[in-house]
Amino acid sequence: MKAAWKWSAALAALTLSVSMAAAGPQVVQGPGADPGCFAPWSDDTAYFQWEAKPGPYRIAVVNGFVGNTWRIQMIKTAKAFAEDPAIKDKIKEFKVVSTGTDAPAQLGAIEDFINQGFDAIVTIAVSPDGFDRVIRLADKNNVVVVPFDNVLDTDKVMQVNEDQLAMGRTWAEFLLKELKDQGKTSGKILEVRGLPGNSVDRDRSIGIHEVLEASGGDWEVVQVVGNWDDGTAQKVTADAIAVHGKFDAIAAQGGTTGVVQAMIDAEHPMVPIAGESENGYRKLVAKHSGDGLKGISIGQSPGLVAIAMKAALSALEGNVMPQLISVPLPVADYSTLQDGVNYWTDLPDNFFTVNEFPPCGVNISGPAIMSQSEADVK
Amino acid sequence: MKGKAGIRRWLLQNLGFATAVLLFIVLFATYNVLHPRGFSSAVAIQNSNETVAIAFVAMAQTLPVLLGGLDLSVGAVMTLTNCVASELLYGSPAQILLGVLLTLMTGAAFGLMNGCIVVYGRIQPIIATLATGAIAIGLALLIRPKPGGKVDDDLSWALTNSVYDLADTYGFADGGNAWWLRPFADIPVPVILVLLVAFVVWVPFRRSVTGRTVYAIGSAEGAAYMSGLPIHRAKIAAFTLGGFLAACGGLYLAIQTSSGNADIQQAGAYTLNSIAAVVLGGTSLLGGVGGAIGSLFGAMILRVISFYFRILDIDPLLQPLIEGVVLLLAVSFGAFRTLRVKNQLDLFR
Repeated sequence: MKAAWKWSAALAALTLSVSMAAAGPQVVQGPGADPGCFAPWSDDTAYFQWEAKPGPYRIAVVNGFVGNTWRIQMIKTAKAFAEDPAIKDKIKEFKVVSTGTDAPAQLGAIEDFINQGFDAIVTIAVSPDGFDRVIRLADKNNVVVVPFDNVLDTDKVMQVNEDQLAMGRTWAEFLLKELKDQGKTSGKILEVRGLPGNSVDRDRSIGIHEVLEASGGDWEVVQVVGNWDDGTAQKVTADAIAVHGKFDAIAAQGGTTGVVQAMIDAEHPMVPIAGESENGYRKLVAKHSGDGLKGISIGQSPGLVAIAMKAALSALEGNVMPQLISVPLPVADYSTLQDGVNYWTDLPDNFFTVNEFPPCGVNISGPAIMSQSEADVK
Repeated sequence: MKGKAGIRRWLLQNLGFATAVLLFIVLFATYNVLHPRGFSSAVAIQNSNETVAIAFVAMAQTLPVLLGGLDLSVGAVMTLTNCVASELLYGSPAQILLGVLLTLMTGAAFGLMNGCIVVYGRIQPIIATLATGAIAIGLALLIRPKPGGKVDDDLSWALTNSVYDLADTYGFADGGNAWWLRPFADIPVPVILVLLVAFVVWVPFRRSVTGRTVYAIGSAEGAAYMSGLPIHRAKIAAFTLGGFLAACGGLYLAIQTSSGNADIQQAGAYTLNSIAAVVLGGTSLLGGVGGAIGSLFGAMILRVISFYFRILDIDPLLQPLIEGVVLLLAVSFGAFRTLRVKNQLDLFR
């Protein structure tokens, strides 16, 4: 009896180690499937291939923090996209949970879905580190984990994001161009930053500073922390204007509607501004661009969730996928804003305007998401 | 506690705790029945991993609550020790052990500081710890301005899995296949760790004079003082032990995530959840009644409620609402005793 126990356990261990060796994605040569949609981050990006599984699949979205508009819109988009005719037949079961900013809870939820036998898990990581264990488990069970938006500092999983560094650079380049048109090559710039300790905040800021330093101009950058939140951003901008008087340009990572509102309240002259993709901000730029509020708006789209879901499905079908997928930056400036196309006067200020990614066949327009009541997509 | 009458009296005296245990058993058993792989080792490992940090922090919160106060720094101390551990848990076994000790000492020292401020500074615990909590987060950010760190891979894998994996990783008991290990092989290591701390640290403390003084202070500080109990010592010891338990949470979090993260929001969430767990576990916010084992169950109830969202089809945007309602119902269970009191003065106990 004792010997039987020993042998069965040894056998179990053996099969475990064998399956561990075979499981997980293979690193293969590119190019990957559908490069228009799943563009590799850079030339060095590796390519992954999972063993093809028969569909339809069970997909879960494990969100972290919930409670701002962006996340709610992301969840609505995910549910709307799961019902999209293009992919509806490929999904057998679709679940969305939010764990709050609690790393053990998020890791636990991912592990739970692995245990339940889900095929793919799409997630916004609450921390860029600490997922080693669930990645190991996912590989062992041939589950595709796709972090997007707040991605992980690892190259062991397939991830989807916009290039935050490029976003920062584009913002700064736009501001420099507008300032040059005014004949300015030096001056004072207000930088409204995002949530501290976050890789997105870090990369955007690095991008902005890189370009400003490379320009050779004498730029004094005043940094305040706005947490990507309208209320906070409005308050810190008002404080900064009270202390520093006048800025020549503003670069805001988020909460841009609040930033512009603070300028209006303080009767600060309208200056070139770079900001996120909030509907309210685009409305204000459209209204005041003639007075000097020359704005550029680039968004981190809640629609990234749809790309991540699509990438997960593609990986499950056995296609070759880039390890890090770069979604093109959706850019609009004061010259390209058009009501009803890339902003909506009849939608709330805190709505995020960019949701369409034509190369990926993701076309869920703003009003479509907002009009979708909870009951419709349940 | 002998015979029927003894059990009955124990039940009446520990109604909150007994309710919590019952509620947990019902919730957890139902969850396992509904789960496609319920009652398996994999599910138990996942559940326990998710619960350890909040369980330790809830146990840490219990001590100040027994004194009649609140500790708003437990989540922050967990975060601080998490960041400390993420710097120290690698290298030779001796180095790792030293790192573990230093991490736990950091938490205990922080708790000691809290206790001294409360006792000698004569500041209300809730205000004192609000300030020291901010200090802890500040230190955590200094140590780890951005998330990351290095924790020994084997340690992290072995302690977050079953006993079998622990033996397998470190190659004792025939790599986990020894006959005497079989009965325990499927038990998750985190469960053992929590029980170890609960029974080696908490139970002896509760039985000591200092521990009983903590209860006495919570019931009636004046009477405890007049009885010649060591009030100052008990308060300082309670906060120190609270810091130590929070550090256990931080240490496990580092092992579990192989990293440290000075996450302010997470620290806040853990502090608030720890208070909820303490109340769920049958400890009175007025002090003097309850215990850390109850809070352990409170923490488990809190977690199990959120487990349900993964197996049931509930609209994601309704989940926080439902979680809140269920939590309110669960806490209200503890209030049932008010329906059967004979004398309204009893309520003020």
